Amino acid sequence: MNGAGPVLSGIAALVYALILAPIVVVFTLAFSADNFILFPPSGYSLRWFQALAGNAPLLSALGLSVQVASVVTLCSLLVGVPAALALAKGEFRGKDALTGFFLAPLLLPTLITGLALLLFFTPLRLTATLPGLVLGHMTVTVPFVIRMMATALANLPHDIEAAAATLGATPWRVVRRVTLPLAAPGLIACACLSFLLSFDETVISLFIAGPRASTLPVEMVRYVEGRTDPLIAALSVVLIIATLIVVVAVERLVGVARAVGR
Amino acid sequence: MSATRRLRLLLVPAGLFVLAIYAWPTLLLLRNAFNEVGPTGALVAAWSLKTAADTFADGFTFELTWNSIWLSLVATAIALALAYPLSLFLFRTTSRWRGVLAVIAILPMLISGVVRVFGWLAILGDRGLVNGLLQWLGLISAPLKLVFNWTGVTIGLAESIMPYMILALLAGFGQLDRTLEEASRSLGASPFRTFLRVTLPLSLPAIVLAAGLGFVLSMSAYITPKLLGGGRVFVLATEIFEQATTNTNWPAAAVLALYTLVLLLVLLAFSNLLARRLRR
Amino acid sequence: MSYLELAGLQKRYGASVAVDDVSLAVEKGEAVALLGPSGCGKTTTLRMLAGLVEPDRGAIRVDGIAMTNLPAHKRNMGYVFQSYALFPHLSVAGNVAFGLEERRRPKAEIARQVEDALALVRLAGLDQRRPRELSGGQQQRVALARALVIHPSVLLLDESLSNLDAKLRDAMRHEIRSIQRSLGITTLFVTHDQVEALTMCDRIAVMHRGRIAQIGTAEDIYERPATRFVAEFVGRANALPATRGPDGKVLLWNEPQPVTAPASGEFDVFVRPQRMRIVPLSEAVGAETVRVSGRILRSVFVGDHVEVLVEGAGGQLTVEMPSGSPALAEGAEVAVIWRAQDSLPFPREAP
Repeated sequence: MNGAGPVLSGIAALVYALILAPIVVVFTLAFSADNFILFPPSGYSLRWFQALAGNAPLLSALGLSVQVASVVTLCSLLVGVPAALALAKGEFRGKDALTGFFLAPLLLPTLITGLALLLFFTPLRLTATLPGLVLGHMTVTVPFVIRMMATALANLPHDIEAAAATLGATPWRVVRRVTLPLAAPGLIACACLSFLLSFDETVISLFIAGPRASTLPVEMVRYVEGRTDPLIAALSVVLIIATLIVVVAVERLVGVARAVGR
Repeated sequence: MSATRRLRLLLVPAGLFVLAIYAWPTLLLLRNAFNEVGPTGALVAAWSLKTAADTFADGFTFELTWNSIWLSLVATAIALALAYPLSLFLFRTTSRWRGVLAVIAILPMLISGVVRVFGWLAILGDRGLVNGLLQWLGLISAPLKLVFNWTGVTIGLAESIMPYMILALLAGFGQLDRTLEEASRSLGASPFRTFLRVTLPLSLPAIVLAAGLGFVLSMSAYITPKLLGGGRVFVLATEIFEQATTNTNWPAAAVLALYTLVLLLVLLAFSNLLARRLRR
Repeated sequence: MSYLELAGLQKRYGASVAVDDVSLAVEKGEAVALLGPSGCGKTTTLRMLAGLVEPDRGAIRVDGIAMTNLPAHKRNMGYVFQSYALFPHLSVAGNVAFGLEERRRPKAEIARQVEDALALVRLAGLDQRRPRELSGGQQQRVALARALVIHPSVLLLDESLSNLDAKLRDAMRHEIRSIQRSLGITTLFVTHDQVEALTMCDRIAVMHRGRIAQIGTAEDIYERPATRFVAEFVGRANALPATRGPDGKVLLWNEPQPVTAPASGEFDVFVRPQRMRIVPLSEAVGAETVRVSGRILRSVFVGDHVEVLVEGAGGQLTVEMPSGSPALAEGAEVAVIWRAQDSLPFPREAP
């Protein structure tokens, strides 16, 4: 028996069709043999994947994006996880206010963060540089890591760390032998999602990326603004498949809905 | 105790980061709203309200405001109409695919916005899926204009905010106890009456919060209006970006950004207040 | 000086007082229960003892050594948590070995001690299982073995049986008690279940609103409750509103009774239902017997006894009679009698 009933299930199926439509269309279009966006395509080929393999600007943007996302992920974990640990385990006055302060960047639209960073970075000559992009993306990923890991650490089995302490483990040994091993799946999931967040970050990058250093989403926006051919569809297929692999991994580890939810 | 003090040291890197890379730039943004742009286009440091006055004296600002609000309202309404039944389905289903279905529902938020916009171009374009289908059916002779205008932007925006609203709705459904609906049924209410008298009132706070979130996200969305609007759709977000980059008029961009922020804060405060009222 | 001493412990959380003023002395090898309703501060007291909660005031000494400022990992106290708090990422053996590993004991010794501890709690052979593969009772035994293997100075058990079903709880109660006795380990046992407290411990400390209301043997607590709260919380009791007659005599249900009244103030008289007897109205009673009259409302058979509800001038009361007593007709007019010494007068509390 389905607990949702036939009417609701029917409506849900329609909504799912709408959600999946752009993705399905992109997949079909990627194998198009046409020179422009025509759906359904008049013929099928791999020519756009070949074109993609020969497109130097997109490939170098992809390289930069992978580089930025890797550094962003590493730095965000290094900055965010200790803070999450302190917020989840510490008992001190002003903790709620401090949590609010750390999570505030998640409230402001990236449009406004991006503009603020443009104003800040320009005189420092940080725009269109790797450090600039990394710091910019970290305004999104650091609060994300803090929120996700603080929740994950606070949700560890009740009293489990207290048990380790009563058995003679020092605070540092408790973190090493109990807290971190138990939080490991969450930590890996958090790293994956931070990578995705940075890799897909578009608006902040548009503000602070110049022609010298443009990330993949920025290059894609420029491409779509100029031309409409199936090249981007081929690229999208590659990205979607890569994303799906990450998403499945995260789902296995912690459940996506729980990871991205507030 | 010293353990607590040591624990607090762990907050220092994140604290410094947020202060330097977030709080300080935001203050800079605020400061820039009081600067002016000279006749040559050069930035003039000042403490004046001239830029703000110029911005609000310009009728275009109000057109942008109206465009942004109207677009966000329609997109939020569409997204809510789709997200609500889907969330209710996810909340209720006992299918063993529930986890997978939940992931698919929020998949768009994990996929790059540019990719999704491109999908909509292929669906709604002159030679896209919808027009192709309608022409094949003989319902229209010339393609409908579905992208590079308000229609396309509204559709794309609705889709992009849906996953966030689904998550907000699912979180809010916590207080929706299935036994309450069963109680209503046992008291003689039809499924539809049960929905109207039990399910809907109980989920109203979640609806308000989800709608507030969807509206805020729509108001501040840039990529979708930019790409699906094809340069013909002007909203606050596109104007902020234009002023900041193409025109390098930072003071004007700052004024518009702060203005948008105030609009959003007022709206968020209102929707939170309403949700709290409803929850009583 | 006692082996374990708590002196004037206090803990506040903001404006609310979790533990107000708890002092307690426990002898070596003794088992003491902290009994009380939820929120009375018993678990907080236990956590302060283990070093998991820092007291605002007061001192803790074990064997004359001050523990108050030692962190949890230096106290060497065995703690069995209500949720068991087994490490899900470690095997049963890994869980039990944890404390010994933190003490850097040689590997061979750890292996031997783990084996002994698991044998003690009758879990030999399950050492490679994960906690989630065990039943609730087995998890409880692992938690116990893990706490015992470190040879703690004091064993602390926090509502340790509350997650087990009734039958298993009975069995574990006796098992834990016999392990505790055979090891001669000083034990503090937090519970809200009076049967647990009565059966497992040498003495019981009844806690109420962050203080110890009474401490004594099971019999002390039950037969001679020190406060109205203890009388109500431990066992069942009828509370009969008392009034003072014009001659100063105590009236219960409008009849003068041989009960001693407190010097002043309003009060109620508490009587255990099983100390009451139902007799015909005509039966004569002695001078040291309390007697009220009423009508039988209901008589309910509950297995090992019969509960009879009697209504009279001052309200209702419940009498417990051994099953097999002659049946009583509902509506019959009867007298309820009990020995004057079974009457426990306590001041009435402000509503």
